[in-house]
Amino acid sequence: MSTMHLRSPLLRLLPVVFLVQMGEAASPPDFTRDIRPLLSDRCFKCHGPGEQKGDLRLDQRDAALVALNPTDLVKSEFLHRITTQDQDDLMPPQGKAKPLTHDETEKLRAWLEAGAPYAQHWAYVKPVRSLVPQDVNAVDHFIRERLEKEGLPSSPPAEPAVLLRRLSLDLIGLPPTETELDAFLADPSPAAYQREVERLLASPHFGEKWARHWLDLARYADSNGYQHDKLRTMWPYRDWVIRALNADMPFDQFSIEQLAGDLLPNPTTEQLVATAFHRNTPSNLAGGSIREEVEVQMKLDRVSTTGLTWLGATLECAACHDHKFDPITQHDFYELYASFNQTPPEVTENGLGGGKELIGPEIEVPGSPAEAKLVADLRAKKKELEQKLESAKPLALAEREAWEKSFITDGGYKRIPWDKLPTFARKVRGLDLIGQPASKRTERSEPKVLYVLFYDHPATAPFAKPLAEIERQLEAIRPPRVMVMRDLSVKQDTFIFQRGNYLAPGKVVGFGVIDALHPLPADAPRNRLGLAQWLVSRDNPLTARVTVNRWWAEIFGTGIVRTVEDFGLQSEAPSHPELLDWMAVDLMENGWSMKHVIKLIVMSETYRQSSRATAAALARDPANRLLSHAPRFRLPAELIRDNALTIAGQLSRKMFGRPIYPPQPDKLWDEIISVEQPEYPVSRGEDRYRRGIYVVLRRGNANPTLLNFDATERGLCVTKRSHTNTPLQALTLMNDPVFVEAARHFADEIESWPGDASSKAVRAFRRAVSRVPNATELHLLLDLHATGSSWFDVAQALLNFDEAVTKS
Amino acid sequence: MNTSAPFHLNRRSFLRSGVMGIGSLALASLLKRDLAAASAPHSALTHPPRAKHVIFLHMVGGPSQMDLFDPKPALAKYEGLPLPESITQGRRFAFIGPDAKVISSPYGFGAHGGSGMIFSELLPHMAGVADDWCMIRSLKTDVINHGGAQLFMHTGSGLFGRPSFGSWLSYGLGTENENLPAFIVMTNGLPTAGAPIWSAGFLPSQHQGLRFRGGNEPVFYLNDPADITRERRGRIVEGVNALNREVHERYQDPEVLARIAQYEMAFKMQASVPELLSLKNEPQHILDLYGIEDTSKDTFARNCLLARRMVEQGVRFVQLYIQGWDHHDRIYEDLPKACRQVDQATAGLIRDLKQRGMLDDTLVIWGGEFGRTPMAQVLSASGDATPPGRDHHIDSFTALVAGGGFKGGLTYGSTDDYGFGVIENPVHVHDLHATLLHQLGLNHEHLTYRYQGRDFRLTDVHGKVITPLLG
Repeated sequence: MSTMHLRSPLLRLLPVVFLVQMGEAASPPDFTRDIRPLLSDRCFKCHGPGEQKGDLRLDQRDAALVALNPTDLVKSEFLHRITTQDQDDLMPPQGKAKPLTHDETEKLRAWLEAGAPYAQHWAYVKPVRSLVPQDVNAVDHFIRERLEKEGLPSSPPAEPAVLLRRLSLDLIGLPPTETELDAFLADPSPAAYQREVERLLASPHFGEKWARHWLDLARYADSNGYQHDKLRTMWPYRDWVIRALNADMPFDQFSIEQLAGDLLPNPTTEQLVATAFHRNTPSNLAGGSIREEVEVQMKLDRVSTTGLTWLGATLECAACHDHKFDPITQHDFYELYASFNQTPPEVTENGLGGGKELIGPEIEVPGSPAEAKLVADLRAKKKELEQKLESAKPLALAEREAWEKSFITDGGYKRIPWDKLPTFARKVRGLDLIGQPASKRTERSEPKVLYVLFYDHPATAPFAKPLAEIERQLEAIRPPRVMVMRDLSVKQDTFIFQRGNYLAPGKVVGFGVIDALHPLPADAPRNRLGLAQWLVSRDNPLTARVTVNRWWAEIFGTGIVRTVEDFGLQSEAPSHPELLDWMAVDLMENGWSMKHVIKLIVMSETYRQSSRATAAALARDPANRLLSHAPRFRLPAELIRDNALTIAGQLSRKMFGRPIYPPQPDKLWDEIISVEQPEYPVSRGEDRYRRGIYVVLRRGNANPTLLNFDATERGLCVTKRSHTNTPLQALTLMNDPVFVEAARHFADEIESWPGDASSKAVRAFRRAVSRVPNATELHLLLDLHATGSSWFDVAQALLNFDEAVTKS
Repeated sequence: MNTSAPFHLNRRSFLRSGVMGIGSLALASLLKRDLAAASAPHSALTHPPRAKHVIFLHMVGGPSQMDLFDPKPALAKYEGLPLPESITQGRRFAFIGPDAKVISSPYGFGAHGGSGMIFSELLPHMAGVADDWCMIRSLKTDVINHGGAQLFMHTGSGLFGRPSFGSWLSYGLGTENENLPAFIVMTNGLPTAGAPIWSAGFLPSQHQGLRFRGGNEPVFYLNDPADITRERRGRIVEGVNALNREVHERYQDPEVLARIAQYEMAFKMQASVPELLSLKNEPQHILDLYGIEDTSKDTFARNCLLARRMVEQGVRFVQLYIQGWDHHDRIYEDLPKACRQVDQATAGLIRDLKQRGMLDDTLVIWGGEFGRTPMAQVLSASGDATPPGRDHHIDSFTALVAGGGFKGGLTYGSTDDYGFGVIENPVHVHDLHATLLHQLGLNHEHLTYRYQGRDFRLTDVHGKVITPLLG
C-alpha cells in the first residue's frame, strides 16, 4: 500500500553505516567490529566453516595466513584478489556476494598492514563486567560514555505525566489511571518514581504484558494451523507464563521447566504444563500429508526455536549442511535434534477428512474449586438420569419400528429434522444415515440411531433431553487437557538427514551440544534436561546476552544488538558492547532475575529522558541508536486494544482462563477449509473487554485487528515484530466495531462528567495521553465537539491520536 | 521513516475534500497511476524488466493435465490396469496406492492457432488465444497435499511463515499507486491454505496481500459506522491529523508525519476502493468479452475484469483463486463445470489486456498447486462406489503463462506415455518462480531478506531461469 512509511532495507542499514563510520576515525580496523563482518558477508560462504573452495579457509587465522600473507603484502594473494582489475580473478566473484566497496577494500588493506590480527567472535566469548563508578547506574554510564565520545548531548527528563505513562505501558502494558497520575504528579520525586517502579513490577499485570513477548517466541496459538486448523487447548501454558513472570521465576529455571520440566525429579503439574512450550508447534494434519514428515517438521521446528530463543542462532541452516557462517556443523544440529527425537508419536492417521489427528502426551489441568464442585454436582445428576433412562429404554425400543416408519415420506426416506436433535449433536456426521433404509446402514450407525430414538421418543425423552444438556455443560467446563512433552523410556536412534531430507538418513548420532561453544556441564544428563542445563549454564556466552538484549529491545524498540535473533558472525555489532555484557553478567549474578534487570533499565536516567528529538540528534543519529533521547514507537497490537479499552473505561482486568472472542468480521473462520468448523462464540459481558493477550488465536485466520498492527499468525518462532504504519491501521481504529464501541462508551463517560465542555475536554485528553492539552490541542477538541455536537467525534479523535497509540 | 509522502495535502485542500466529499474529478485523479511514485524508493531491480505486473489465476485443487492440456492416448491401452511398477516405485501418492488402475480421458483434443498448441475440447475460449500462451507441461512440485502445495506454489515453501510471491514483489518493486495496495487477492471459494498463502511472512506486514471480499465491505473496516457521514468522517480525520501535527511539533518524530499521510490515504481509500470495484462504466462489449452477465455477482469473470482494472491502476500483483478443481471423484461430471466457470473469462482477460497493450508487461499465470494422476481414484460413500476421479499428482503437471515476454505459442517440456513423469525439460516450481522474477527485472538470487540470521529468497536455495520459455 504505501512504501513511504516503511523502513526499507536500505533505510535499515543507515544507522549501521553511520555508527561504523563514527567509530572509524578513532582507531585502526577492529577485527570484530570492522573485519569479520566483511569476511563473513563476502567470503565465508565459500571459504568458511561450511565450504573451503580452492582449499582456502578464511575464518581461522592459521588456515588463512597462506593467502593473507600479512608480512609481505606484495605477495598477498588475498589482497591481490580483492583489488585486481581482472574480472576473472576478482573476489568475491560476481553474483556470489555483493562486491567490496573501495572503503571496504581499504579497511581490509589496513587490517593486513596491521598484521591481520584475528579475535574470537565477541558473542562466543564469555561476557565480563567492566568497571562502573559507584552510585552510577550502569546503563547511564555506558550510554553517556558513548554520547560524550560522539559529541551528542543527552536529553532532559521527560515531564512526569509522560514518564509515568511510559513506565506503566512498559511494565504492565496499561496506561496509568487518573488516581495513579494524580498521586505521582503530587510528588514526582525520585523516591516516588522508584515506588512507582516497584508497584508496577509487583502488579499482576506485569506478567500479562511481558508474556506476549515470550509467547511470540513460543509460537503459542490456540489452533493447529494449516488445513482444518482445529482448535487446541494450550491456554493453561499461556497462564503458566504469566504466573512465572509475575513470580519473577529465575530465567534459568524458567528455561529449564519449559524445555525439560518433565525430566525433572517428580515434576509438578505446573512443571509439566511448562513443557507445552515445545508442543506449540503448528502441525500440518491435512489429508495427504505424511505422518513421518509432519513429525520431523515439528522436531526441526523445536531445534530452530530453541536456537533462536536461547542462543540467538539460526540453527536451521545446519539441518541441511554445516552452517556457512557460524561454527555450527550439521553433526551438531542432529545431536541437538536427538534430544527432541525421544518423544512418543504425536500424529495419528485417522483424523478429519482423511487427515490426521494430534496425539501424544497430555495432562489434565485442574480447574478452580468452584468448577470442581460444579463438575461433581453435574456428574451426580447425570448418573441419576442415566439410571432412569436405562429403565425407560425398553418402552422406546418396543416402538422402534413405528418410530422409524415416521421418517418415510412418499416413497423415500427423509433426513431426521434437526429440531429432533440436541443442538450439539447436529454436528455429528453420519446422523443423516438414520433417515435412510436400514439396508444402507452400517454397524457404526446403530448407536447413533438409538441415540436419536431415545432423545425423541416420549417414553425416554424426559430423561434423554436433560441428560444431553448436562453432557453439554460438562463438556463446556471439562478440565482442560494440555499437550506436554515426555520422553520414551527406550532411546530412539537419530540419523543425520542428508541435505536435510528425512528420507535420506545418514550416520547415527547421539545426544550432544554445539562443539564450538562451551562444554556440557559435567553432571548434566544426556537428554533434553542436559540440553536445558547447558543452555542456561554460566559458561554459556550467549543465553544471558540474547535475553537481556531482547528485554532491552522491548523497552527501547531496538536491541543493543539490532539483530536480536542473530548473535552469530552475520549479526550486527552491538552499539554498546560493554553495557550488554554488564547487564548479562548482572542478570546471572542476581539469580537470573528478570525484574532486577528491568528495574535497572527503567531506573536509569537514560530511560527517563524526554523523547523529544533535537535537530542535531535527527541529523547525526536518525535511528537513535545512541539514545540521546528516549524512543517513541507505536504500541504492539495487543496493547493497542488494552490501551483503547482502558481509555474508554471498558477494560476488564480479569485474568487467566479460556481464550476470549471479541467481535470480528462475520464468518471469518468459515474461510478456513475444514471438515469440522468451530464456532466463533462472540464473547459477551466482561470477557468482551479483556486484554489482548487472551484473544483467541486461530492461526489460519487470526484476528484481523491484531494482524493489522503487526501481530503474527505465530506459525513459527517470532523474535521481533515489524513496526508498520499503514492506512489499514487507520481504518481499523476508526471503524472496527471494537473501537467504535470503545469510542461510544468513552463519549458517554465524557458526557456524564461534571463541568463545562472545556474541563471535560481536558479530562478526556488526559485520560488518553496522561498529560494535559496545550491551548491548540484543547481548541481542536472543543472545535470537534462543537461541529459534531457530540463527544463521539472527540472520543474517536483521541483514540486515533498518534500520542494515544504511541509510547512517548 | 521516509517522510517524502507523495501527497501531502495541505490542511485547506484536505478540509475541502473532507467537507465536500471526494468529487468525481478528484476521484479520477486519485485513481490515475501516480507517476511520481512509480520510481519506488527501494526498487531491487537487477536488470531492465520485461513485465511490471502479475495476474495469477489459481485453480484451487489441481486441474487434470491429461484431460485438458497433455493428451495421453496411450492410456486407453492400459485402461483398468495398474501402471508398471518401474514407473510408480518410490513415488508419493496422497489417497490412492501405486496399484490404482489407469483411466483414460474421454475428451477430444485439437491443435489451435498458428502454433498448433493442443487444448482439450473443454477449453474452447482459452484455445482461441493459443498463440498468446506459453504452455509448460513439465512442472514439478514438492508437496502433495493442498495446503502445503498451495503454500509451495506461492511462497516457495510448504511450511508456514514465508512471504508470498506478491509480497516479495511489493517488497522488491514497491507500488505504482499509493492509493491502492500493491498486492490484492480475490477469491471465488477459498484456497485450502487460507490467508497464510498471501501473508507477508517475515517481510514487514504492509507487504501482505490485501483480500478484497465480495459483499459491501471489500476491505475490513473500510466502511464507516452507519451514523458517520462522509463529511463527519472527514472532520474527524482532519481533527486527528491536526492533533498529530501538534505532536510532531512537540517530538519531531518523523513517524508522526507518516501517520498523518496514512490517515489521509485511509480516507481516500474509502472512496477509491468502491470506485475501483464498480463496473458501471465498463461498456457492454467488455462485459461480454469476459462473459459477465450480472455485474453484481461475485463471479470469477467479474474478478478477472477487476484484475485488469487493478493492473491498469498500477497494482503489482493480483491473485485470483477459484475453488472446484479437486476432482477425486466424478471428474467427468465436475471438470467440464469447472472449465466453464473460467474458460471464457480467462480468454477474455488475455484479449482485453492485449487490445489495451497491457499484455506486454503483464504476466498472466493459469494453473493449480499440482496436477492429477493418470490412475483413477474411486471413493465410496455408504458402500457405493462413486464415478471415478483422479488423485493429487506432483511429479508432472501443466501450467500456462501469457504475456510479460514469455514465448507465445510455445509448448515446453514433455511427459511419459502415462503422463506420470517428466521425460524432457523439467520445470520445478522454484524454476518457474525464478523465471517469472527474471521477467520482472529481479534476479531471484539477489531478491533476499535477512531474517533471523538468514538471507531468505522466494526460491529458497534452488531455482534457475528457464530461458527457452522467454521470447
